[in-house]
Amino acid sequence: MRFGVQKETPAKTPGKGLPSAVTRQSSGFEQFCSTLRSKEGLSILDMSGASQANISFITGMGHRISSDDIVGTMQECFGADFLEAQQAPSLAQRFLDQTLTFPDEFFDGALVWDALQLLTSPLLEHTVEQLLRVLRPNGQMLVFFNADEKAKQIPVYNYRIQDQKTLLQTPRPGTSFQRSQFFNNRSLEKLFQKAASVKFFLTRDHLREVIVRR
Amino acid sequence: MWSKRREDELPQQPQRPAGVPAPPAQPTVETQRREPQTMSSPSRTFEPETPSTRGGSAALGKNVTVKGQIFAREDLTIDGEVEGTVECQEHRLTIGPNARVQAGLKAREIIIHGSIQGNVDATDKIDIKKEAKLVGDIKTSRIVIEDGAYFKGSIDISKVASGKPAQAPAPQPSPAAAPPTSPTPASTVVK
Repeated sequence: MRFGVQKETPAKTPGKGLPSAVTRQSSGFEQFCSTLRSKEGLSILDMSGASQANISFITGMGHRISSDDIVGTMQECFGADFLEAQQAPSLAQRFLDQTLTFPDEFFDGALVWDALQLLTSPLLEHTVEQLLRVLRPNGQMLVFFNADEKAKQIPVYNYRIQDQKTLLQTPRPGTSFQRSQFFNNRSLEKLFQKAASVKFFLTRDHLREVIVRR
Repeated sequence: MWSKRREDELPQQPQRPAGVPAPPAQPTVETQRREPQTMSSPSRTFEPETPSTRGGSAALGKNVTVKGQIFAREDLTIDGEVEGTVECQEHRLTIGPNARVQAGLKAREIIIHGSIQGNVDATDKIDIKKEAKLVGDIKTSRIVIEDGAYFKGSIDISKVASGKPAQAPAPQPSPAAAPPTSPTPASTVVK
């Protein structure tokens, strides 16, 4: 089994108080790419917002990409009281109305990155349900969860694809959130219980990579 | 005598090269332009890019609102409000930073600084700047998107016939790569 390697890239160091940008080897993304290599003309959803790197990589492999910034939508809908606001039904509904508004079985794959760990129940379960709905049968999504059990704040990153197993993680300014819950393998299996399979990848950098297949 | 001399001079004015057709009769809503102009923009701060102004270009200033269809046979810059459709086949369309566009857009090349809600179709290239906001689907051969730009929608890269990689963004578009511009007079039609 491969372990993720974290390497500092000083040139990308952000402002004070933010973690540095890092490049990392991602076994989960490597697995995701094996599907991308096997077929052409797939529809892929990237939930990290639009970026040149991701667009060029996905379209360069002959696929179609859709971009959606799920963390941006969360910030817009829930504002400063991020966790508490998710419990307000009207705000939660507003978030669901703006996110994943795609037809059923529209995508062959989804790059969700680390967005799901910012959601609390029951909005988290609703969002997972929506993700599975927009995926085609046998379609897969790549999801990251912070695996540092002691961390109280979770940094949120933008993920830029460098190659078929390397990602550049750039911290999103102003997006360090208080942890709502810790996700271990058991809780993730429960969260994705309606999926056909859930595969975990161990890393050394406090990131749990998960491939969920519908 | 005065009038005779003027009549002799008048036919020499157009001096078109051989083979270039005379401009068609212009409808009343069609405007011919040789120089960059704005239809209305008293305090405009955004200027169209220099290369686009060479072969004739039109601009809708930030205080202009258009509802309907716009067809341009020249480069066009929109910095105002547009609702409907915009077509600049074979030419460059620039959406300025003050623009609020709710329209489907079609052009050879589209540069976006402002806000668009609608599908965008560029035969050659789309350039989305960091301050841009685009909600809609994109169809193009090449795309350049700056970090910080807001985009929600899908991207469909049409394969280039020559077989070269379609997605690779060119840092500086080569003027030679652009299709030859039509010798027909530059004009913009607003319906």
